[in-house]
Amino acid sequence: MTCHDIDNLISSKPGNALPPPEAAAHLDTCDECRALIGVLNEERKLAGLPAVQLERIQASIVKTLKPVRPLAPASLFLFACAIIFLSIAAIGVIPFGMQGWGALGIGQRVAVFATLAGSAVLLGVSIVGQMVPGSKYALAPAGLPVGILTVLLILIAATFRPQADPGFVENGLTCMKNGLTYSIPGALLFWLLVRRGAILFPKLIGAAAGGLAGLIGLSVLEMNCSNLDVYHVLVWHGGVVVISSVAGALLGAAVEYIDRLKRHKVS
Amino acid sequence: MQLEAQPSAFPNAEFEQLMARYQQADPGAVAVLVERLSPQLYRFFASQLGNRADAEDMLQDTWLRIHRVRHTYRAGDPVLPWVYTIARRVRVDNYRKRIRISTRETSVDVLPEVPTRNDETSSLPSFEELVAVLPESQREVVTMLKVNELSLEEVARATSSTVGAVKQKAHRAYQQLRNLLEQQQFAQAAPKGAAR
Repeated sequence: MTCHDIDNLISSKPGNALPPPEAAAHLDTCDECRALIGVLNEERKLAGLPAVQLERIQASIVKTLKPVRPLAPASLFLFACAIIFLSIAAIGVIPFGMQGWGALGIGQRVAVFATLAGSAVLLGVSIVGQMVPGSKYALAPAGLPVGILTVLLILIAATFRPQADPGFVENGLTCMKNGLTYSIPGALLFWLLVRRGAILFPKLIGAAAGGLAGLIGLSVLEMNCSNLDVYHVLVWHGGVVVISSVAGALLGAAVEYIDRLKRHKVS
Repeated sequence: MQLEAQPSAFPNAEFEQLMARYQQADPGAVAVLVERLSPQLYRFFASQLGNRADAEDMLQDTWLRIHRVRHTYRAGDPVLPWVYTIARRVRVDNYRKRIRISTRETSVDVLPEVPTRNDETSSLPSFEELVAVLPESQREVVTMLKVNELSLEEVARATSSTVGAVKQKAHRAYQQLRNLLEQQQFAQAAPKGAAR
């Protein structure tokens, strides 16, 4: 048994439970581990909590106690997110057509749309998880929007090639405007959907919801924009996701600020 | 020997029922929840802050916040990670508030209360003295694991993280604590050696 094994044991035993007998041999020979376990397992005497404090807390809660409707099941929220995403993407494709889809090679289609779908699912699951404090995560929600954006940009850089694009800024601005035209209503609908749960972490949920809305815009652009220049796709198509995520985070920060002001007034 | 931690099965069915009753506005459930959870939450704050008055304030804030977001609890989910996520959020908000205030005014520092030790003759520093030198995220993980007696999975949920990330933070913290203890013991042994 090594010090690393002892670390695993310490973490897996709740509180100050004693180490199992199989650790004894290591502890006999390792001063550091013995000292560490001694400190971690020491009986801690913290001053007790005054009873009057508990009574005050109970009274303040009971005073405003009303029945509340718990949040709907996570599957329902995920389904609603999928419906919003697909509906807005479909609405976006109808007026502009599918020239982009036609221009893409099979490999590009698979790479781009599989990544978009995977990213949308990950962000949707993350948003729904963040609505409930203490949810279980396979990927830490704080880094997810940035991680997804990085993967998307790397994928675009690897999948597309530089091409002549005489109207880089002019065409690009049109694309960005088109993308945001579909991202903004998506972001508003996502916010309406998750607002009851966006209380503890509005910034994070805002960034994730903005990112998901940005993916709607990006999907619409990939379907209808036939410009395959890597710089055009990176800057103007990818920019839709960046702007949406940042706007979502800022909106979340504003909500957090307003909430803090309200609480400050109440207290 | 397999040393991987097994996630606990959350044997807190009683808490779950109490939370469901709390959502239905049962004052009895509120009383039991406050009575059962407050000492643990108080330890969570006091162990990290070392100041009883602040810990009591944050406990009050945490319950107000719990009350406000009680609809976000879903029946069947473990209660402790839900509660500690909120407590953690209150602590972070409080920390930010202090920073904002300290930039505007010169505060009179309140000396932290050093927790009483069980074994006064021990040469080792206390748990609170030791973890105080750890980075914030590591101190939080070690406190949740060893003071609040949460499992790895509960800590992962409470910190919006993964079990792997929690384990990594705990291992880094233990390693740092070992180094500190080694230095302490070395420092205590040195004068003895010099005296000889």
